[in-house]
Amino acid sequence: MSAAATPTPQKLRTRKPLTVAAVAKNLGALVLAAVFVFPVYWMFSSSLKPQHEIMTKDPVFVFTPTFENYRTATGVDLFWTYVTNSLTVTLGAVLLALVVALAASFAIARLKFRGRKGIVLVVMMAQMAPWEVMVIAMYMISRENDLLNSIPMLTLIYFVMVLPFTIWTLRGFIAAVPVELEEAAQIDGCTRGQAFRKVIFPLLAPGLMSTSLFGFITAWNEFAMILMLNKEKESQTLTLWLTQFQTAFGSDWGATMAASTLFALPVLIVFLFLQRKAVGGMTAGAVKG
Amino acid sequence: MTVDSQGTATAGPQDAPGRAAGKSQTPPPSSGPKEVLQPPRGRRSLPSGVLPYLLVAPALLSMAVLLLYPLIRNVILSFQQLNRKEFITRETIWTGFDNYTGLLGDTDFWTVVVRSVVFTAVNVALIMAIGTGIGLLLNRLGKKMRLLLSLALMFAWAMPIVASVTVFRWLFDEQFGVVNWLMRTLGLSGYDQHNWFETGFSTLVIVLILLVWGSVPFVALNMYAGLTTIGSELYEAAKMDGASGWRTFWAVVFPNLRSFFMITTFLEIIWIFKAFAQVYAMNLGGPDRGSETLPVFAYIEGVGQFHYGVAAAISVLTIVMLIAVLSFYFRLILKEEEL
Amino acid sequence: MKRKLIAAIGVAGMMVSIAACGSESDGGKDGGKAAGGDKTLTVWVMDGSAPDAWMAEVNKAFEAKHPGVKVKVEKQIWNGIQEKVTTALSEDTPPDVLELGNTQTAGYAVTGGLADLSGDKAKLGYDAWNKGMVASNELDGKLYSAPWYAANRVVVYDKAAFKKAGVTPPKTRAEWIAGLKKLKASDPKSQAIYLPGQSWYVLAGLIWDEGSDLAVKDGDKWKGNLSSPEAVSAMNFYKELASYSTAPKDKDEATPQQSTDVIPKGGVSSWIGLGWEAGGAIDAMKKAGKTADFGYFPIPGKTADKPGSVFLGGSNLAVAERSKNKDLAKEWLALAAGKEFMTKYAAATEGALLPNTDSAQFKPAAGSFAEAMAASSASGKVTPVTPGWANVETAPNPIKDYMTKVLKGEDAKKAGEAADKVIDERINQQ
Repeated sequence: MSAAATPTPQKLRTRKPLTVAAVAKNLGALVLAAVFVFPVYWMFSSSLKPQHEIMTKDPVFVFTPTFENYRTATGVDLFWTYVTNSLTVTLGAVLLALVVALAASFAIARLKFRGRKGIVLVVMMAQMAPWEVMVIAMYMISRENDLLNSIPMLTLIYFVMVLPFTIWTLRGFIAAVPVELEEAAQIDGCTRGQAFRKVIFPLLAPGLMSTSLFGFITAWNEFAMILMLNKEKESQTLTLWLTQFQTAFGSDWGATMAASTLFALPVLIVFLFLQRKAVGGMTAGAVKG
Repeated sequence: MTVDSQGTATAGPQDAPGRAAGKSQTPPPSSGPKEVLQPPRGRRSLPSGVLPYLLVAPALLSMAVLLLYPLIRNVILSFQQLNRKEFITRETIWTGFDNYTGLLGDTDFWTVVVRSVVFTAVNVALIMAIGTGIGLLLNRLGKKMRLLLSLALMFAWAMPIVASVTVFRWLFDEQFGVVNWLMRTLGLSGYDQHNWFETGFSTLVIVLILLVWGSVPFVALNMYAGLTTIGSELYEAAKMDGASGWRTFWAVVFPNLRSFFMITTFLEIIWIFKAFAQVYAMNLGGPDRGSETLPVFAYIEGVGQFHYGVAAAISVLTIVMLIAVLSFYFRLILKEEEL
Repeated sequence: MKRKLIAAIGVAGMMVSIAACGSESDGGKDGGKAAGGDKTLTVWVMDGSAPDAWMAEVNKAFEAKHPGVKVKVEKQIWNGIQEKVTTALSEDTPPDVLELGNTQTAGYAVTGGLADLSGDKAKLGYDAWNKGMVASNELDGKLYSAPWYAANRVVVYDKAAFKKAGVTPPKTRAEWIAGLKKLKASDPKSQAIYLPGQSWYVLAGLIWDEGSDLAVKDGDKWKGNLSSPEAVSAMNFYKELASYSTAPKDKDEATPQQSTDVIPKGGVSSWIGLGWEAGGAIDAMKKAGKTADFGYFPIPGKTADKPGSVFLGGSNLAVAERSKNKDLAKEWLALAAGKEFMTKYAAATEGALLPNTDSAQFKPAAGSFAEAMAASSASGKVTPVTPGWANVETAPNPIKDYMTKVLKGEDAKKAGEAADKVIDERINQQ
């Protein structure tokens, strides 16, 4: 555990006996947790219900769970192709974004150069890109360059989608690392590159994690681009699989919910894996703006 | 460390980075670290040369190719008549500003613009208020409760949009909705088949609940993270002064997390203003087009009717509006950047 | 420990980036071309259109006739299909054969994306085609697709409920309403009929019964016709029917899906649906441990001598203009939509779908859905055949909004005028 990696949380610990306020805040937290979890619970419980118990006049809370919906969901043709594609595209985009953003944000946060401010402005504006509408333009570009149904192309698009946010956040993190640390390393004989690798990089762990989480969610959920660009089933991803169970001939809600549950799992896993750092991360970057 | 670096960040010298650097064609970076120590506390004190440009080049290049270029193409499309026929035959028909004049002269368009702006404002205000509240609560909870609540938030965040919209539609369904059942169970009458999507307004309220529910986790978890960077001394000091919770927030939390609030609000405005799937899937912009926001309008008038040129024009107008609305933000953030 | 891990991730990231750049130039170029001069014929059909066994048989026969050709069938879902077909037709390697909804065919025909089949009429068996089904395949005297199958709606009823109320299948609108009254009296808690407010295909039938149409041609322009006296009286009859239903006024039959999500829960004595819907309801009830006992009758007409008009929904098969295998595609089309395989198709679907030729018709079992459907298919019609019609149908469909407004009490003429304005705007665009 690298102690330096996270700003040690210094919480306000109120060690008081049980008071009205303490009860109220814990109760409030419980209610809030219930409110936030309920739709998720409903998705999950519906995924375990037989079709006729999913939508009912009086909701069914007690039922015998069935895994039928999961079998339907995972039993579709090319399921594992979708999984592979989704993972390739998402991880590829996130990793690529991290590497490229790291370089750029280091320059923005640490170095003086003409046009720095302009770049900050570009990065900020880039977050407003109307990707959903740019689908048509992107489609035409891909069509002209024979890049339809291409996984690398999709990866690159997602990479650029998450890049601005990644640069934005990492920039904050790098700025938060005291220059003195780096200088000290350089005095010790490190080159600047070494100083970056050995000093700054480890301190960026939370930032890298939080931005990966965000990038992961964005790329993992992307729908509009893939719908338009990749018509061949072999090059599609899990987001399209999710909507596959809603057809004109009736929707298999159970399978839809089972698929959604499975779809949400990787995000949760990534979160739980990154949790400690990620939560601390996301804003330390923003905070240190 | 945290409080300290905070201080550095806000009290640093007001240099003008654009002017200072760039001219000196210093040799490659490896032979650099000689002049390092002059401004002991400055942030960007290292020598530069071409290195910064090399470092930002990949990012700029990829954004130029995959963001700027499509964006320019999009602008070009907005000056064309690009309906299904032209799209398939790959014909180019220039129509000048027709798409724009058509839109700007359309009262429906302006209704939608006003609706979108109000909708976004209410949404973002609620998201920020609730998110901040939950963030503060997280900071005050015990370890177990905090984990529980953050997990709940994370679950909500991880839920795919397709699923969350479907579930919300179920919850508020006229015939089989859980909410109607809950109302009936609570003994309220008139909820046997209450239609929650009766009007555009009621539909938007439900979309709002969905968006707030889906966006609060991001704000709350980050708010909490931000709070952990504020040293407890500051709280103690405020408490010693006898400040109320409310005053502590404005005196200690808010100033320290100013950037956080600014950037999160900035992002939420963009995200909510652009939200499409949640609004469209909830009730297809209905009833009677009463719940259409700008992206939904763009979809219905543009893509749905195969008027891609019009869709492009709407998106260009959307960007222009966003830039106008957020320009003061840009200035604020850029100012911060100079510090 | 962790630092190393993160460093490793960073390195991995860099390698990915190199790999991604390296493969950029040759990515996605290997579409469709098989080795050794063999050809692949790509066929897009909608999910649920063709029984798998039938499709396999067609392709087997086709591949036997054309050695070295492989047929690749790709099932599409209706969701977002218009965008998908539009973009596909604009590409250099579109699917060779596509299934198109019959209300949407004209919209594609006008774009030049579909191959002109006028010269292949003899090969395709044009003369034997069901006349009601041909209309949607032609535009300005040219043939752009072959009809494949069609289906129309009938009234599905719960035999037990009808028996209890002493109601027999009606032949006229008056009998129909009288029956609904009795049903309501016999079981006030049930819905005599489940009729959501936006079942606009049902309304179309009622308007046709009045001798009018959803839109009419005026010179060389089309105009919406919902404010016409005929449409107003049709809508008012719809409203009367809907008064026996508590179904949502602002939803169509698919939200929630009436067949699987509403009917199986009980409390509905009759409803208007298609063959697959009846089948879906029966299956869903079986899964829920209930048994369905459905009877079927054609939607009653104004008089007993002729059943009510119905929308003949269905699909056509077209060949893409940019197809690299146009001749093969036409051959495939001639085979699949020819009499031999249409006969097999009708049999495979047990008459739930009407084949494009009357002589291929499956003899439906007595009392079956197919029997009732066949009885009314002679009164089948399609929506106005003009490229702009597809625009009218896309969400938000003005006809649906019009229906909801009237059901909520607005004057039919006034609401019709508002809807006509939208239709006028959309229908004349291509």
